Amino acid sequence: MRTRFISSMIVAAGLVLTVTTAMAQAPGYRAPRTKDGKPNLAGVWQAVNEANWDIEAHSAAPGPFYQLGAAFSVAPGLGIVEGGPIPYKPEALQKKKQNFTNRMTLDPEPKCYLPGVPRAMYMPYPFQIVQSTKQIMMVFEFAGALRTVYMADQTEAPADSWMGWSNGRWEGETLVIDTTGFNDLSWFDRAGNYHSDALHVVERITAIDADHLNYEATIEDPNVFTRTWKISFPLYRRIEKNAQILEYKCVEFSEDLIYGHLRKVPLK
Amino acid sequence: MNDRVLMPVGAIALAILVAIVLVAPTSAAAQAQKAAAATATKAAAPAKPWTAPRTPDGQPDLQGYWTNNSYTPLERPKDVTKEFYTLEELREAEKKAAEREEEQTVPGTTADVHYDFTQFGLDRSQTRLTENRRTSVIVDPPDGKLPPVTSEGQKRAADRAAERRKQGAQYDQVQNIPIGSRCVYQNAGPPMLPPGYNPAYEILQSKDTVTILIEMLHEVRVIPLDGRPHAPQGYRSWLGDSRGHWEGDTLVVETTNFNDKSAFRGASENMKVTERFTRISDDAIRYEFTVNDPSTWEIPWKGEMPFLKINGPVFEHACHEGNYGVANTLKAVRLEEKKAAEEAAQKGTK
Amino acid sequence: MRITLAVTITAILLLAAVPIWAHHAFSAEFDVNKPLTLKGTLSKWEMINPHSWFHIDVKSPDGSVTEWMVEGGSPNTLIRLGVTKNTVKVGTELTIEGYQAKEGTNKAVGRNFILADGTRLFLSLGGSVPGTPGAAPEKAPEKK
Repeated sequence: MRTRFISSMIVAAGLVLTVTTAMAQAPGYRAPRTKDGKPNLAGVWQAVNEANWDIEAHSAAPGPFYQLGAAFSVAPGLGIVEGGPIPYKPEALQKKKQNFTNRMTLDPEPKCYLPGVPRAMYMPYPFQIVQSTKQIMMVFEFAGALRTVYMADQTEAPADSWMGWSNGRWEGETLVIDTTGFNDLSWFDRAGNYHSDALHVVERITAIDADHLNYEATIEDPNVFTRTWKISFPLYRRIEKNAQILEYKCVEFSEDLIYGHLRKVPLK
Repeated sequence: MNDRVLMPVGAIALAILVAIVLVAPTSAAAQAQKAAAATATKAAAPAKPWTAPRTPDGQPDLQGYWTNNSYTPLERPKDVTKEFYTLEELREAEKKAAEREEEQTVPGTTADVHYDFTQFGLDRSQTRLTENRRTSVIVDPPDGKLPPVTSEGQKRAADRAAERRKQGAQYDQVQNIPIGSRCVYQNAGPPMLPPGYNPAYEILQSKDTVTILIEMLHEVRVIPLDGRPHAPQGYRSWLGDSRGHWEGDTLVVETTNFNDKSAFRGASENMKVTERFTRISDDAIRYEFTVNDPSTWEIPWKGEMPFLKINGPVFEHACHEGNYGVANTLKAVRLEEKKAAEEAAQKGTK
Repeated sequence: MRITLAVTITAILLLAAVPIWAHHAFSAEFDVNKPLTLKGTLSKWEMINPHSWFHIDVKSPDGSVTEWMVEGGSPNTLIRLGVTKNTVKVGTELTIEGYQAKEGTNKAVGRNFILADGTRLFLSLGGSVPGTPGAAPEKAPEKK
């Protein structure tokens, strides 16, 4: 009896330990290794959440065009921001609200502009991690966006870009990516959450089992926010056979939106 | 006269090797010229066997930054019958082409209405030239020219041209502007031909994929090596769907599932392109391709060119995002139309 | 041989560095009949594609400042040479010879970008002959 009780306590303790460490980067799952000895994060991955609509907790809501009815309405979400609302400075919060009001003309996504970081990581489309020794690339389906993570020969960003300039390193099982060199043009989501060109993102990506990654990012931008803040969510492996990134060139789909008012004969 | 008939394959390989040896980056231009002259006069010497370094997964290592920058035309020029220029002929031609590129345009002419490329390093001569001695990229058919186009191909070309004419004048709507100017597609291929400027590529390898980044328009080709079949026919794309495998030390990539819009040199969506990448020195990759589209060309045709090493990086080519030019141009044309209409109206009321 | 060489050169010249459509597009965007020279200081160099844009503050004799936006080339090759957003500093004096945009605002294409010391871009940014490390810089082509 006592032995069984002790055993079940040990098992229970073990379960508690497992649960509390599941989403952390502490000792846990050990990913298979690449031939150069690093955790192998290669594969096709995708976020499954509603963060692209709004990274904060939000209710279901009508979409901007009644003609699309429920099909383009806003799905509810519990958000990916940890610990309360995004800490905007007061004037920055006003700008965010203006962004929201004018989101159909201001959001870069309908224009097929590059999604920036971290938004590319939780858009509802797959991306592929391609891993080599000196560089890791993330190839995104949407707009064919690309992130290059320099694991060696690291420099500062030569100029500003949509997807930023990423330098990475390994900390045990975790890929730590430090990204700066952003322009101020991308958004965090469709709800108008935005940043300046001082944006600094530090991501930590850890495999938690064969088909899931834990993704965390700290967001720092002294022009817009009063302090750093954090987002986190799992990434799911696309496990279907022959999963691949497909070509999703969307420039042609956005041209009437961007240039339609400059046609010789206006669109009806 | 007809040198091509007398050129056995071995001599061609040697010629390529000679050409590549001559672009060793550590030589100053003058020294390279001397070495070139010396080597050109030597009898054919057996090439020292060279094997490519391996990636940690044991594959030949193709990784790094590369350029296919060259003046070599796709098709052999008229009145040129031989397959290779002498080194002297090539250097002379490249020197003259570079001088012509650099030439200042005449103020007040259309050609002058453009930033001078040389200030941004964008002249072809300002990036490492691969100094390809071939008179054409096409190596088969042996005359260096595209094979005859089938009647189906000719009809398709005529139909496409008629469709374009129906769309109206070039600036009536953005869709009438060339797709390159719209940042939709700029000859990424495959096959990957030199783009004229920003001719930079990056190759990254892992156990299951070879990834090629093409600088122009920042196109990324992720090529699976795991033997999976091509995507189903219902899925088409501008760059097609690529599958790779190793044959010895050569990476062979087969691409199908093209849409009917990339239309490489008039090709149909049934085009199949086979590329072969072989690292032949620390400094060079031999790139060969075969284009197979029986509905457009009576026979398959082949091309070949070197990729040489350059330094990186390949900076983000966010073309559509930065495309002020299209909006500026459309605004300008609408403004001119408005002015013309106002002038006509005024004349009418007089 | 001579004939072959001449034909070769002609054939090679058909491969213009700039595609023909690009010149045509530029002359639709900028007015060949409105050449201008702008003298001002750089407020921002947008190092973007497909063309970079120089934002210049041009001071008039009366002291007022007009902002101009001037089109230049893709920065990608310059970046491979080591040029960064810190290379051409804010406040740098620039003389730009070019043509005004047709769409009516203060935009232009810069034919020549000339620094205070008389050198043009690329050479003044450490440019040299093709990608070969340590090669000697070329002389700027003589203006005709």
